[in-house]
Amino acid sequence: MRAAIRQERLVPAAALLLVVVAFVLTPLGTGSPLTTFDVYNALQGFAQIGLLALAVGLTMIAGEFDLSVVGTYAVGGMIAVQAGQSSAVLGLLVAVAVGAAVGAVQGALIAWLRVPSVPVTLAAYIALLGLAYAISGGLSVTFTNRDATLWVDQTVAGVFSPRSLLTLAAFVLVAVVLGGTRLGAELRAIGGDRRASRVAGVRVERKLVLLFTTSGTLAALGGALLSFSFASANPDPGLRPLLIAAVAALLGGASLAGGRGTATGLLAGALSVALLAQIVAVAYLPDYSTQLFYAALLAVVVAIDSPGLRRALERVRARTRPVEA
Amino acid sequence: MMSLLTAPPAAAVRARRARPGRLAVALAVLVVVLLPVAVTTERFLTLGNARAILASAALVGITAIGATLVMIAGSAVSMAASQTATVVAMVFLATLDRGLTVATLLALLTGVVVTAVQGLAVGYWEANPIVLTIAAGFAIGGGAIWFSGGTPVSAAAGGYEILNATPLGLPLAVYVLLVLAVLAEWILRRTTAGRQLYLVGENRAAARAAGLPVGRVTVVAWAFFGLCLAVTGVFLASFNTSATTNLAGTLTLDAIAAVLVGGTAIAGGKGSALRTLGGALLISVISDVLLLRGYETGVQILVKGLLVLAVVVLVHLRGRR
Amino acid sequence: MSGPLVVVDALARSFAGVPAVREVSFTVGAGEIHALCGHNGAGKSTVVRMLSGQLAPDAGRIVLDGEAADLRSRQVAQRLGVALVDQELSVVPALTVLENMTLGDIDAPLVTRRRAAVRRCRELLDEMGLDRLRPGQLVATLSMGERQLVEIAKALSQRARVVILDEPTATLSEAESRRVFAAVRRVAARGCAVIFVSHRLPEVLELCDTVTVLRDGRRVVTAPAADLTVDRLIVHMLGETPHRLETSRRPDPDLTHALRIEHLRVPGRLADFTLTARAGRIYALAGQLGSGASDVLRALAGLHARATGSVQLRDRAVAFRSPVGAARAGIAFVSNDRKGEGLFLDKPVAGNLVATRLDRLGRGPLVAAGRERRTARSLAELAGLPPDRLADPVLTLSGGNQQKVFVGRSLGRPDVHVLLLDEPTRGVDIGGRAAIHRLLRDAAEAGLVVVFASTELEELLELGDVILTMRDGRVVDTYPGGADGAVLMRDMTEGKDAA
Repeated sequence: MRAAIRQERLVPAAALLLVVVAFVLTPLGTGSPLTTFDVYNALQGFAQIGLLALAVGLTMIAGEFDLSVVGTYAVGGMIAVQAGQSSAVLGLLVAVAVGAAVGAVQGALIAWLRVPSVPVTLAAYIALLGLAYAISGGLSVTFTNRDATLWVDQTVAGVFSPRSLLTLAAFVLVAVVLGGTRLGAELRAIGGDRRASRVAGVRVERKLVLLFTTSGTLAALGGALLSFSFASANPDPGLRPLLIAAVAALLGGASLAGGRGTATGLLAGALSVALLAQIVAVAYLPDYSTQLFYAALLAVVVAIDSPGLRRALERVRARTRPVEA
Repeated sequence: MMSLLTAPPAAAVRARRARPGRLAVALAVLVVVLLPVAVTTERFLTLGNARAILASAALVGITAIGATLVMIAGSAVSMAASQTATVVAMVFLATLDRGLTVATLLALLTGVVVTAVQGLAVGYWEANPIVLTIAAGFAIGGGAIWFSGGTPVSAAAGGYEILNATPLGLPLAVYVLLVLAVLAEWILRRTTAGRQLYLVGENRAAARAAGLPVGRVTVVAWAFFGLCLAVTGVFLASFNTSATTNLAGTLTLDAIAAVLVGGTAIAGGKGSALRTLGGALLISVISDVLLLRGYETGVQILVKGLLVLAVVVLVHLRGRR
Repeated sequence: MSGPLVVVDALARSFAGVPAVREVSFTVGAGEIHALCGHNGAGKSTVVRMLSGQLAPDAGRIVLDGEAADLRSRQVAQRLGVALVDQELSVVPALTVLENMTLGDIDAPLVTRRRAAVRRCRELLDEMGLDRLRPGQLVATLSMGERQLVEIAKALSQRARVVILDEPTATLSEAESRRVFAAVRRVAARGCAVIFVSHRLPEVLELCDTVTVLRDGRRVVTAPAADLTVDRLIVHMLGETPHRLETSRRPDPDLTHALRIEHLRVPGRLADFTLTARAGRIYALAGQLGSGASDVLRALAGLHARATGSVQLRDRAVAFRSPVGAARAGIAFVSNDRKGEGLFLDKPVAGNLVATRLDRLGRGPLVAAGRERRTARSLAELAGLPPDRLADPVLTLSGGNQQKVFVGRSLGRPDVHVLLLDEPTRGVDIGGRAAIHRLLRDAAEAGLVVVFASTELEELLELGDVILTMRDGRVVDTYPGGADGAVLMRDMTEGKDAA
């Protein structure tokens, strides 16, 4: 039981510390010192997955899992590009509005009909993928608004860009809202023990709809910013962004069992994942080593969270204890 | 406590049973809507088209049959299906120089072992299947690139062409799909492990307290899933004659979609391999109709997603108590 | 201040035609602590559920502060100032103490004013004597007793006029109970009406002003606590001594057929338990919630991975730290949680009856359909289940029939030697109860070792050939069947030293 508190903070702290130390030490392996550009790149990587990780992580805290965020990410990117050719801000707003609507519909199904979130969001993901294909005709769409593209990725203070700053701002906003209002506690209560939260008087259904609306909004925003940066929108990003976001959320101390996780933890998780990718790039390690690192880190998370494994260990301990206590 | 004390009177229950289920009604509506659209579609009612439908359902169908067992065993979906099938394809192609039989056996063994190990962790440790299979997907995918050096693996020798044979005009994979579906259904209905699978899936705590071999049964389900994945991988390899790291494409979610459209509930304890076969075929038929009517890929995928959503909601409402 | 704060007037409620509460009336004044006593099945919980808005009465009314109250839901009851501390906790382990205190509180501001909230939480914790706890501590790190105290503190913190405590001290230690009493007294002193439900009779007499005793859904007596003693309370609660289901058979003298349990321990739950249970006898473990009676059974069934000790059956050591090991040794377990840990509710009756013996119904890995059908039919007959319901989902059966399925699935198996039952007739009506008792008696006479745990005195007396009273994880004493109910109850509620 005691592991529960520690894990929520320990896992993200340990992950971030490990990765930061490794990042700082990379010059020892490569022989060339780190530059501010390396940090800028790492933060660009963070911007790419951060909002998705935040979206997935928030649903995990409430004991749900939103697979559809990667579909909303694709659709958001596509809509932002098509609606934003003349005005990027308009494109961004339309994309975010669509993302919110998509999330709200799913949230309603999950909250009021009490359908499990995995199949609903999986179906929504497939449908959204189809939508992205249908809007674009299955091809990448070029974003011609060059000013917007240049603006989102310009360097700010050497290491930041408006894109990474916006992503950070989203984390800060969520952290303030969850930490400063009763929403944070209610979200974890819903994930930790839904029956008890109902008994205590939490309006579970409304919170779930709000939650999925938020995750849709964040995912669409992330997708929009990404296509502005790439100056094009890809109708099918594949499952990879979702999986990396899930790794970030899990390293951020959230768990699929729910009831655990904080916005700052998720931030640490997303930063860890981004830094890890940057280390692999800076150290010229083969590409696949990122995947193996993710697998190894997740294996630790899985082992910590397996009740059967814990019981097996207790059994061994009880058997080896002397009979006379 | 309440629900125990106020179980509905028997008469009401019988009356409810006599009425056709909501799912049956929905399926009937679907057929009524789909049938006229389908038969009025040009070239739908041709032998060639029927073959095309079956062929396009084959590979996803084979994986979905295996995924059915895993889902029946309890809210487990695998996020590592594509990667596993890809690795199997690579093993198959790389070992073809030892003969087709050896290569096939090695490929099947790879699929079964890699997947059964995940089943071990889910069954005995109660590891979260989604997190576990995401990790496994990264490990298998990363490992595949490591061993292949990131270049496509091509066939080390010939001899695989026989797997592309089309007896009676249908690809071999279609026959394998049918055989595996029947085999899976037989395992589920007739064997001890299959029957226990439903019990474990419906109420894991009860199965555990009753002393049922929860771990072993789970491993059996995952091992069978591994076998199905491996068969998919072998067919993929022989169709494409070389394997890149994204050979299996969207297999992971397509398989889950077929299982869900077959009416298997994600919560576990219910479902059938034959209905998954039906789900895979239904998806295939709808995509085919849309294709013949000139709709683009995007619309086909969109409709598939909405179909999955509708079935999931219906199955859930029907099973709710 | 005119008249009592709470008036319960001729309240009645039945379940499926069986009356659980019949015209119960009592009143509680402001500042009064009113006890509801009665053993299990007397109707206390039903009264509590009606008072807290969880259950609508069939007849009668509840008057709060002179106004008839329509308590449609928990929320409505909460708004009218009725706070409930339930046996089932509503604190969330994933949250901190502070977060739990304000969770779901309609009056809590949306934006947390942290410093004020911490101060208020600190005060409440100190009032409960929980000065060791920090407001920022996760509830998951607290003991069950501390969680219960936090739950009570939370209920007391909401501006309630009526506070109902349903067995708040059942799982608490002596010292923790003291703190609850102190807090309850303070709440009463503020002018609240307190309704206190407890099995622990000495504490009832110590804490409460008035005691109402229920039996078989009726009010037997309402009297000032000062006029009562533990013995007189027990007499009121018991009524007639129940009739015992006698056995004609002598116990199996062959000790190799016995279940031999030595120094069974479960850290934090069961201190030490030793028993040699002979085949053909029914052993009754008599203990309230938290006494360890249930843990003896769970440990034997392999559900406590941390259990230590030695268990032998038929001269073989039982691998009792895993359910598979226990089942293989021939131990069958009937949990007290039929829904969560017992039956497969969506599966048909037949499927449930054969669920645990599928591997014995055919050749090799196959299940023989014909044999399965025949077995299910004969088990249904044995358990007294209607044969035309075999294809129906178990969910659609009555509680009594569900329990027959649960018990029946372990009967008629040559490889089962021990039958363990935790609360064998929970949620079962009178008729079903007698049938299940008959089944257990038959099972014992067929040569099984039967061990059951129960909190119901009648059941213990009707069924037990040997009765072990338990409290605080230890055996208090051992009695032959037909012991004096009053003595058993004193053991269970007070232990030996208090007598």
